[in-house]
Amino acid sequence: MKRTLPLIIVAGSGFFMLVAFFIPSKFFQDTSQTFQNWYIGVAAFFVFIGILNLVKINIEKIQRKLRDWRYCYILLFFLAFTMATGFIQGREGKAFLYMFYNFQTPLGATMFSLLAFFMASATFRAFRAKTPEATILLIAALLVMLGRIPVGYWIWHNYPDLVEWIMTGPNTAAKRGILFGIDLGLISMALRVLLGIERSYMGGGGE
Amino acid sequence: MIFQTIGIWIAALLTLAIYSFLYKDNPFYKIAEYIFVGVSAGYWAVVLWFDFAWPNLFAPLIKQQNFFYLLPIIIGLMMFAPLIPKISWLVRIPLTFTMGVAMALQITQITQGDIFPQLQATFLPFKGVNVYTSITNLIIVIGVITTLIYFYFSKEHKGPLGLAAKIGIWFMMVSFGASFGYTVMARISLFIGRVYFLLHEWLRAI
Amino acid sequence: MNLIERLSHLDRRVIFLLVAFAVVIPMLQPIGLPIDITKPVKKVYDKIESLAPGSIVLLSTDFDPGSEAELYPATEAIIEHCFRKNLKIYVMGLWPAGSDLGNLALNKIAPRYNKNYGTDYINVGYRPGGAVMLLSLGKNFGDIIKVDYQGTPIDLLELGRAVKSSKNLGLVMTLSAGDPGILHWIIYFHARYGVPICGATTAIMAPQQYTYLGSGQLVGLLGGLKGAAEYEVLVNRKGRASIGMDSQSIVHVLLVIFILLGNIILLHQKGKR
Repeated sequence: MKRTLPLIIVAGSGFFMLVAFFIPSKFFQDTSQTFQNWYIGVAAFFVFIGILNLVKINIEKIQRKLRDWRYCYILLFFLAFTMATGFIQGREGKAFLYMFYNFQTPLGATMFSLLAFFMASATFRAFRAKTPEATILLIAALLVMLGRIPVGYWIWHNYPDLVEWIMTGPNTAAKRGILFGIDLGLISMALRVLLGIERSYMGGGGE
Repeated sequence: MIFQTIGIWIAALLTLAIYSFLYKDNPFYKIAEYIFVGVSAGYWAVVLWFDFAWPNLFAPLIKQQNFFYLLPIIIGLMMFAPLIPKISWLVRIPLTFTMGVAMALQITQITQGDIFPQLQATFLPFKGVNVYTSITNLIIVIGVITTLIYFYFSKEHKGPLGLAAKIGIWFMMVSFGASFGYTVMARISLFIGRVYFLLHEWLRAI
Repeated sequence: MNLIERLSHLDRRVIFLLVAFAVVIPMLQPIGLPIDITKPVKKVYDKIESLAPGSIVLLSTDFDPGSEAELYPATEAIIEHCFRKNLKIYVMGLWPAGSDLGNLALNKIAPRYNKNYGTDYINVGYRPGGAVMLLSLGKNFGDIIKVDYQGTPIDLLELGRAVKSSKNLGLVMTLSAGDPGILHWIIYFHARYGVPICGATTAIMAPQQYTYLGSGQLVGLLGGLKGAAEYEVLVNRKGRASIGMDSQSIVHVLLVIFILLGNIILLHQKGKR
């Protein structure tokens, strides 16, 4: 039951949706639309469970006094405060948007911008033409790095066109080949899930 | 106006706290990091509730007594089943339902929306077009075929197959090099954005 | 220890400082390097130019603060162009923070063109569900969108009433930082409903989009901050992206020097062995 029912659900809902793609009858179309609407409703709960999990992990960290446990108070405080401002004042509340524009936006932007520095350091230390293939990669990278910026256009007016040709020619060819491989892999994985061969996504639950 | 100024200062100080990590890990960075996670999670919850969960699921059920929405809510609530060990297996129901729907749509749409159009786009003409286009088309066709050959591992890459696989690797190296160039551009752009904020909005230097 | 050996042991914080200077100095002292216009960006511009006044553009802000630096300037430039052409803008976000970032741009630009919320533009907020949601959306917007981001019932807004399905859209413009994003719009929405798609993506995602440009599934593309800068030039707007191009150029030159230096060190080490 604990294993069988979920497998019946995945196969049933999946194959119904597959068949409905080819059958234009009202029953199939309406039912597949209903399934899609239910999917969206259920998908929303994934975020809520994620947030609950975050709270659970941080409370456990505090209780067990793990590394950096004191900072967890900060996380929980700001989580509660942001949710409180949002739920009390509403989605467009001044305090809620203040938190978004003055805390979340600058922090998020800055976190990701740190990568610029580490990438620069990695470029210096690790980007070496040790093999012929690495040399081709390096030459392509150098051409694109200079050609895609105003300096490239300033050096030679046709430089951007050369880069554009690299992007529309060899780059497109390789990316398309890789894309076919990925797509076929995704289709085979999807079939494995529908047929119940692939079950790792089901996670825990006793059995 | 004063709140706006305070907001800019908060944003600037948090930005500098994150950048302090570049010197070394320190409490200011950690505080900023944990604030970020807390605020982001809180924001997600509020936005999801007001933009979707309430108007699309709970409001029709509670205000209009439309019980059609009861089933997705019940299935969604099963996501919380792991909190109670005895019924934790119920979490499989929403997981399998969503996987079933998503995987089925993936099969049809990847075929219709990705594989077929991309295949069609690879059937390129060599005649009846100018020399430049003809050469580019030839390169694209050779590139796609040799890249696919590289990923064919059922036969050893020797002889003509090995040569084709090698050419495929060269195409991929050009592609990865181009991707690296764009990645560099992306990362630097993110830093440029922050510097612009610090110089223009905080320090008013530009 | 000679120079080459000292360079090979260079403290990474020196590299960090050089990168910081390479960005800050050109911003304080602009060089004014000319910005060229590439074909994919021009195609986006031409597509929006070709739309008749009153056409509805669905602007999908599928990004968050982590990619705001690259995609927000493009958002402003696109909105400005649409308003100038008297196009109507229907904003939604496949990412939670996207709709608020879209709002920031709308609230800044709409007053300049005397555009009114509800008639000339609306924002329906965050729409979860990714690919599956897009398939439902194209068939019937009413199934998915009940209220706008302020909680106003969508039928009370003129533009909300005007968009019933994908047939009412002139164009989808997606500003995309990842998943869900441009790929879903192309593979799910465009493939099923045929609405033309233009995209602005982070530079990391741009190389992959060339396969869709080549197949015609994507009309045009703004790749990264440079793409946004090109669009600002086309719409005659001095924005953040154009201002950042000098810094972008100098840092790229610096990184090219780093790569060349790194390989000189490699050759030197090989020679020593």
